[in-house]
Amino acid sequence: MESAFSKAVTLMTVALPTMFAVIGVFIVATKALHAAFPAPIEAEDDEEEYEDEE
Amino acid sequence: MEVLIQQYPWLDELLMGFFGLSWKHVVMWAVGALLIYLAVKHDYEPSLLLPIGFGAVLANIPHSSAVSTVPGEEGFLIVLYNAGIANELFPVLIFVAIGAMCDFTPLIRRPSVMLFAAAAQFGIFATAIGATLVGFSFEHAASIGIIGAADGPTTIYVASRFAQELLGPLSVAAYSYMSLVPVIQPPVIKALTTESERKIKMGFEGEEPVSQTTKFLFPIMITVIAGIVAPISVALIGSLMFGNLLKESGVVDNLSNAAQNELANLITLVLGITIGGTMSAERFLTFEVFLIMALGAVAFVFDTAGGVLFAKLLNMFSSTKINPMIGACGISAFPMSGRVIAKMALKEDPTNFIIQHAIGVNVAGQVASVVAGGLVLALIPALAK
Repeated sequence: MESAFSKAVTLMTVALPTMFAVIGVFIVATKALHAAFPAPIEAEDDEEEYEDEE
Repeated sequence: MEVLIQQYPWLDELLMGFFGLSWKHVVMWAVGALLIYLAVKHDYEPSLLLPIGFGAVLANIPHSSAVSTVPGEEGFLIVLYNAGIANELFPVLIFVAIGAMCDFTPLIRRPSVMLFAAAAQFGIFATAIGATLVGFSFEHAASIGIIGAADGPTTIYVASRFAQELLGPLSVAAYSYMSLVPVIQPPVIKALTTESERKIKMGFEGEEPVSQTTKFLFPIMITVIAGIVAPISVALIGSLMFGNLLKESGVVDNLSNAAQNELANLITLVLGITIGGTMSAERFLTFEVFLIMALGAVAFVFDTAGGVLFAKLLNMFSSTKINPMIGACGISAFPMSGRVIAKMALKEDPTNFIIQHAIGVNVAGQVASVVAGGLVLALIPALAK
């Protein structure tokens, strides 16, 4: 049981920081992607109007 | 009776259902009936709990042909299990459907919400530790912890690899607690926040509209990054993002609609009844299953606490305050968690509309839960050696 417990603790100590690191990469990459392909404001407005009509 | 059966051998064939019946079967019928009742009467995840409930009844009729394992005469639930769960096909197909239903726009507008989603996966790991303390093996404990991903297909995917014998109870726990989010989350949030924190309003400064190109490239980008970090997660994240790509490409609306409707409905139907078919009395009526159900609730509580406390931590260092309740939406139970938290905010202050922020965090929870599942999948074999 001790062995399983220590493995579970290791799982947490490895996986949680790794997940935050991966999410950090996702955040940076998403921001870069969003900045690289900005939306034309008019297009968004048109889209909203179309959604409203629906 | 034995004399009668010796004289009339066909009697044994006719009465074997009665002879094989035990109190355990009857209890399992009651469990099945309870799941059907919750689905029909209280609308708790009906598309899953109803087939699971009926599958449980089918699996617990003595000598049921539905779960026969006689070579050449395998029951249809066994055939479905081998065709779609033992090889992880059904959970992956469900992810294609979920991906086609997801709109990642709020997440792309404000990617930082993914941090809350990461924090809300804390329950997975805390529960895995707790499960080892009550005697579960490491592989089983990690599979139990995955209930905290609040994501049925991920739970099934991990269980089918590392805890096949616990697949039934793990799935039932995952889907039951997902439907109980409105009951589980509010008291935990109230216990961890003050009234003034729950009344914090959040603006939309600096959030620009998202282009169609960004929406289209987002699923490809996430798949590549997650795949490089944890190649074992490619099946999960790749299928989720493939479904989303179908939707965002705008050129295969027929495929996107098929994924969202026909595929989702068909796989949900066979997935539910097949899981129910694994709930035989011998496997389900054990102390282990009781512990799994208890640990599942613990996982959801820790998830909620993780998200809320992380938001409170950020508030200590940020000049722009966040309503800490949105941290709780980082669990993957979409869109229920987002709606529950938005309702709570409105209850505290009828002019406080945080639904967009809450749904953004909730969508991020979909991604984070799959990433967490992928990491657990990668680490279980590595640590179990």
